Amino acid sequence: MLATVHSCVLVGLEARRVEVQADSGNGKPNFHLVGLAATSVKEARERVRSAIKNSGLDFPRARLTVNLAPAEMRKQGSGLDLPIAVAIALAEIGKPGPARTAFLGELALDGAIRHVDGVLVAARCLRKAGIERFFVPAVDASEAALIDGLEVIPCTHLKQVVAHLLGEDSIPPQPFTKAILEFSNGALEHDLGEVHGQEEARRAIEVAAAGGHHLLLTGPPGAGKTMLAACVPGILGPLDLGEAFEVAQVRSLLGDLLPGRPLDWTRPFRAPHHGVSMAGLIGGGTGLALPGEISRANHGVLFLDELAEFQAPVLQALRQPLETGRITITRSGGSVTYPARFTLVAATNPCPCGWLGDSARTCRCTPAVVDAYQRRLSGPLLDRIDLQVGVRRVPLAELASEPRGEASATVQERVLAARTRQLDRQGCLNAQLKPRRLREVARLEPGSRHTLERWSEQKGLTARGFHRAWRVARTAADLEGAEVIGDRHVLEALGYRLHDVAA
Amino acid sequence: MMSPPDLSALNTRGTWPPPAGPRVAIVGSRRPSPYGEAVAEQLAADLARAGVIVVSGLALGCDAAAHRGALTAGGVTVAVMGTGIDIIYPAAHLRLAEEIVAGGGALVSQFPKGALPRRQNFPARNVTMAALSDAVVVVEAIQGSGALITAEAALDLHKEVMAVPGSIFSPQSVGTHNLIRDGAALVQNARDVLAALGAGGEVLDDPLAAPQRLGFGLSRERDGILLHLSDVLSVSAAELARKLDLPVAEVLGRLTSLELDGAVRRHGPGFLRALRTGKERA
Repeated sequence: MLATVHSCVLVGLEARRVEVQADSGNGKPNFHLVGLAATSVKEARERVRSAIKNSGLDFPRARLTVNLAPAEMRKQGSGLDLPIAVAIALAEIGKPGPARTAFLGELALDGAIRHVDGVLVAARCLRKAGIERFFVPAVDASEAALIDGLEVIPCTHLKQVVAHLLGEDSIPPQPFTKAILEFSNGALEHDLGEVHGQEEARRAIEVAAAGGHHLLLTGPPGAGKTMLAACVPGILGPLDLGEAFEVAQVRSLLGDLLPGRPLDWTRPFRAPHHGVSMAGLIGGGTGLALPGEISRANHGVLFLDELAEFQAPVLQALRQPLETGRITITRSGGSVTYPARFTLVAATNPCPCGWLGDSARTCRCTPAVVDAYQRRLSGPLLDRIDLQVGVRRVPLAELASEPRGEASATVQERVLAARTRQLDRQGCLNAQLKPRRLREVARLEPGSRHTLERWSEQKGLTARGFHRAWRVARTAADLEGAEVIGDRHVLEALGYRLHDVAA
Repeated sequence: MMSPPDLSALNTRGTWPPPAGPRVAIVGSRRPSPYGEAVAEQLAADLARAGVIVVSGLALGCDAAAHRGALTAGGVTVAVMGTGIDIIYPAAHLRLAEEIVAGGGALVSQFPKGALPRRQNFPARNVTMAALSDAVVVVEAIQGSGALITAEAALDLHKEVMAVPGSIFSPQSVGTHNLIRDGAALVQNARDVLAALGAGGEVLDDPLAAPQRLGFGLSRERDGILLHLSDVLSVSAAELARKLDLPVAEVLGRLTSLELDGAVRRHGPGFLRALRTGKERA
């Protein structure tokens, strides 16, 4: 008998449908698995055989062929265990597979159904492809139940699944989890209200958050760079539904979702160590690439502390995502694209010892060493960071006397108002404006254009640097609610270009 | 103390020996404050105009400022190197070295050709500088600076040692203030140096020439913000904003505007009042 069951394999953030066909017929008892299966899928033979036997079902004593169609697509992952087992069980009983129904799950030898990564991504794509009912591991059911219009059947054991299909005992579907869609804005872990002094850096953070600009903080150890960076997610405000969904999908692929709470409204904050590899930061792996830190930071903040200590090729690889908000990685198994629209907050010491320019301690570095250190930061990457500010260390004794600033909630109000202005006007944040759109929506008066050009000439700005300063000026005006960019906005924007040196 | 090398056996490039006239070594920190840099440049320019041969070490900071000042004034300057005569260190001063030679000055070195910049070379070079000069002026020096070695060598060789005062808040002036306390002559302008050399008569006799003091009144006060800036200690935009009770964004903008006009310059995370240098005056 022949039984056909639907499932899928993941290719990045997309799922490709797979048909699992099981056919048992006359011949020497044997089990063939065909259809370009990778090692992890070939191993399914052994798991499926044991799981069927240990579930009290009959394994066909016949020549058994399982085909994974389409045959030319390479298939990876343990999620096909369940559909293969279901197809075999149905073929043995003599029933065709259920229509518009898909299965995904890994089997233990005793027939228990285990977690697989990417259930949310699979559920979204299968629903789009016309699937109406989806059998998933019970632990992953709340993920799948985020998809409206899909009946999700949580499965704990193979025996239970087969009984359900035969109409002997039915599993209640997982309710569409509206409750978890409910918006919750938890207390902030880091609040700008706790930062003493640092008015310049606070303002830079506000501008960066408002316009989606990248930011570099330069200052000695203990100046509070990390604290300032950690405050950025809080003033960006919580994610909206679409953003939370994208964040959840990347996490789903990596098996990183909290069980029972698949949607999280807090902005991601990722702070990889400077020893991070190319694959770790950008994404990678064998076969098909998995998302890296930049995609985990999507819609949130990527914090790179000690920027000069990162390997140069790793930093160079940041250039594409910084410009486009996406990363495309090609590996032997194919090419995948992941979202990587993050706000980069980088921090660095001014020199290897960290004390250059500090008022209390003397820098021990020779000028040549300082020069070499700063040159590692310069060039193409720095050219893509719109805001560069110095952060001063405030001696501990004076810390308490420095004035406290506004709380994150107050700053967030201004930031959100400025973001709304931009989205209403141009459909994207200022940092993402293409030069042509920039000329349309950010007209410069002759006076302010002259200021920008003078700076550009004095400091030898590239065309990219020129446009970046221009975008920041647009954001400064938006924060003020001003339609026209004034000279003061351009001057402020240029004030954040710490690393421009005289040509 | 190290004894100076045989001065007749120096490797030289350019015009050597230099034209007759008093020789003054102007030395100081490799990482001077803008004040120190401006002083070195102006002092060298003024001395060169009075016919003094300006001796220095071709290093970054005060040394380079002194060579440049002398060249701007059309004077002759001598660079005493810590490397072989054919190795310019730092490499960034390749053009400066060529200009020194083209200006009728010389590069000199006590080290064999091809000698690389080694740590132990520089104290010996500093002694040579003192030996070649009639007086040594220290512009800025932190404690333990190489410029102080030159000053010490000059004392041992019975040469005149002079020092430029600075702000008591500036670590760059600790070394020079110590020298002054120990008896070094205080330098406020080129005339002080010329007087010590016994060559300043004709300058001192001109009662109409207002004595131009180094490091003072060089910047025109075009903006209230400038009053709150120092030329030695940098002030951050945040501190200024607090002091003036203005939004930090506005203060940053005004500082940037002043920076565009050359009245203010960045120094680490803060800002300094810019001193006009000899090049701009010339």
